Amino acid sequence: MDWDKFREMFLGCELVGNKILIKSKLHDVIKFVMENYPYDILKEIIALHNPDGRIELIYNLYSTVDEETLLISILLDGDEAESVTDIFDSAIADENEIFDLFGVKFIGNENLKRLYMPEDWQGFPLRKDYVQDDTRLAWNDDKNNV
Amino acid sequence: MNYLYFLYIEFLQRHNIPQLFGDITFYFIPFCIIAVALLLVVIVLVLVERKLLGFFTQRKGPNRVGWWGILQTIADALKLLCKENITPDKADKFLFNLAPILVFVPMFAAVGVIPYSSEFTFINTSTNVILYLILAAFPVLSIFLAGWASNNKYSLFGAARSIAQVLSYELPMTFVVLSVAVLASSLNLTEITLAQSSKFGALGWFWIPCVLGFVIMFICILAELNRCPFDLPEAESELICGYNTEYSGMRFAIFYLSEYAMMFANAMFLAILFLGGYLSPFGKYFFGAAPLVYFEQAFWLFLKAAVLIFIMIWIRATLPRLAIYDLLKFSWVVLLPLSIINLFVAVLIKFGGAVWMA
Amino acid sequence: MMTKTTFKLNLGPQHPSTHGVLRLLLELDGEKIVSCEPDVGYLHRGMEKMAEKMSYIQYLPTVDRIDYLAGFFYSELLCRIVENALEVELSDKVRAIRVMLLELNRISSHLLWVGAFLMDLGAVSPFFYAFREREMILRYFEKISGQRMMYNYFVFGGVRHDIGFLEDVEEIISVLPEKINDYEKIITENPIFIRRTVNKGVLSKEMALNNGITGVNLRASGVDFDLRFGDYLYQGFDVRTIVLEAKDSFARYKARILEMRESLKIVAQALEYLKKSGPLEQKLINPLNLKLPEGDYFADIEAPRGVASCFVRSYGEKNPYRLKWRTGSYYSVNLLRKLLVGEYLNDAIAIAGSLDIILPEVDK
Repeated sequence: MDWDKFREMFLGCELVGNKILIKSKLHDVIKFVMENYPYDILKEIIALHNPDGRIELIYNLYSTVDEETLLISILLDGDEAESVTDIFDSAIADENEIFDLFGVKFIGNENLKRLYMPEDWQGFPLRKDYVQDDTRLAWNDDKNNV
Repeated sequence: MNYLYFLYIEFLQRHNIPQLFGDITFYFIPFCIIAVALLLVVIVLVLVERKLLGFFTQRKGPNRVGWWGILQTIADALKLLCKENITPDKADKFLFNLAPILVFVPMFAAVGVIPYSSEFTFINTSTNVILYLILAAFPVLSIFLAGWASNNKYSLFGAARSIAQVLSYELPMTFVVLSVAVLASSLNLTEITLAQSSKFGALGWFWIPCVLGFVIMFICILAELNRCPFDLPEAESELICGYNTEYSGMRFAIFYLSEYAMMFANAMFLAILFLGGYLSPFGKYFFGAAPLVYFEQAFWLFLKAAVLIFIMIWIRATLPRLAIYDLLKFSWVVLLPLSIINLFVAVLIKFGGAVWMA
Repeated sequence: MMTKTTFKLNLGPQHPSTHGVLRLLLELDGEKIVSCEPDVGYLHRGMEKMAEKMSYIQYLPTVDRIDYLAGFFYSELLCRIVENALEVELSDKVRAIRVMLLELNRISSHLLWVGAFLMDLGAVSPFFYAFREREMILRYFEKISGQRMMYNYFVFGGVRHDIGFLEDVEEIISVLPEKINDYEKIITENPIFIRRTVNKGVLSKEMALNNGITGVNLRASGVDFDLRFGDYLYQGFDVRTIVLEAKDSFARYKARILEMRESLKIVAQALEYLKKSGPLEQKLINPLNLKLPEGDYFADIEAPRGVASCFVRSYGEKNPYRLKWRTGSYYSVNLLRKLLVGEYLNDAIAIAGSLDIILPEVDK
């Protein structure tokens, strides 16, 4: 893909290894890529809780025509991100999962709910600072008695 | 019936018992016989179906309880008998309990209408056929009752489907029965049977002039019995168990057994209408003497019913289920016009010659 | 006055035809579906959280459980991550063994699907016929790995031990095509089956891509996309892809049947090679104290239910910092939200069945 043109449009993005690291305007970037390059599948959204405490989202775009992968990565400042559900329907599933396990709120996705975890679960298990101390659980009984 | 009646009265008179007692008890005994015989038949049928399905799907079928698994159904019935009868909390309790009873009663009555041999019909009225049709359609009411009273959405779906299905398949079925009645000039099952007797045996039965009607009737009976491919009211993969989802224990067993009893009764009904009922397929009976020939006649009827039931089980093992809208469309668009054509053909065969001569 | 005529139906999680514990919250108008909201998570085992606490070799036996019908694919993925990271070349024989087992596993998975799909449609027998043939394959897997479903046979850098019992594979190859012909006789030409599947659940190309549908379902919608082509494992094998344009449930059925035949041809090629080949030579990675160099690692594979992929970020420690699975079924479940709207209840069951959803794969 035309890296220079891309860089011009979205200032502050840089190529790290095989992935494009962007600072902001996630939705616009995805939309731009979608409209100008033959990437047609959002294969997955990977969420990570980086050691510095920020949550990183990696958007794995794939082209079924020329079989190429494009990774777009963003580091979130808080726990809010732009939703891309209006571009890719499959993002509903991914964003829901990330909301459930990382607690990232996707603005614009109305389907967010606890998916794997119970509705009233405290905390987000795949975050690195997650501590399992829900007193309703049997293995936390000793904390219950305190 | 007269033959048996005289035999019975004669037996009573020999022991100096007044005839009035005989008159009263005579109709009581057959029903006891029906009840016991029907339960036995159903128990055998359930086993046979499971065995056959096993063979069709390359399994062994039940083979642990008793020799060749013959006691399996009895064991199952006993198990169901011992189980708790659960009534859902929010169900309409009266109707919920009434439904299994209502499904049982018309079933027994329907079996009583069938002429098993030339002298053995429990309920012999001049319009036997109509009576049978009414009794055979009756279980759908209790199915609806069961589905409604269960207070379960799946049950309600099953009940609604069942009503729609029976309503649409009753009509072509009635037209076909009518064409048979035209051919036989009678609405009495015994007379319909006798109208098929000829020295050609199986070739003189009504399935030759009415082959279309025979096929339509067979399909309609499958639909009435909720059997595959028309098993929508209890479609396992969609509605769990349909109208009897909430039933357990003996009440479930009653629904389950009555299905098989109706299958047996309907197979016999079909055999009477098109396959010459108790007539021998060779045109003459092997036994000429009075008591034995009745058993032979009953044997032929049961054999024909057994063949039809075998085909029903075979179909069940083969076909997928229809979709509900296809099922209704099939009845109203295909079967109904065909059954009217069939009636027309029957009238033509019966009266066409006379009209042409005139 | 307008009255509300729709009502809610809770399909599952315990329902005969949701293939596990899928829960669909349906809003129905009569038998017609107005809206559908899939709810998953009844089988969540925390595979990703587990990985963060385990070393790679500890984690390897558990990944078969992600999809119990196609366990080889997931152990292959994890092995591939480790092999790519440590830049280990696989010998030709190892590749042939892996391809043969993967394709056999694909066939067994598709066979189960054929049976279960027909069960959804109300036909009893094909289920048993399909299981009979699947049994042959499972028995072979049991002979070589000791397990029928959770194989744990692929290890980092190769396979656990040399392959054997090749005459069993020969038998499978000779028997299965006839049996698949038999299925086609009882299923494909059946008028009721055709009525229930043709033009039902039409999944357009754009909708499929937009919803992240991959694998057979995508190819039945007319997109020629198969990861096996670029796969280094399949290099030297003649792989042919089935692409159908019909886009409906019937096409998805037909594509799976045809894919089984193609997979058999690949198995035959692998078998041909294995019969000629000498003893197994492989350079196994010592799993003890196995540490991946720092970095992000991706691996993907064409699994029976769509593209499966694995992502690992390592900071050079014994256990992955983050491990993420992508599974095909998860996106199929998400698709139900759109695909089922406007369908009748009994068609909805058939359409959901035709997508081949396996719940352990969805919940991970």
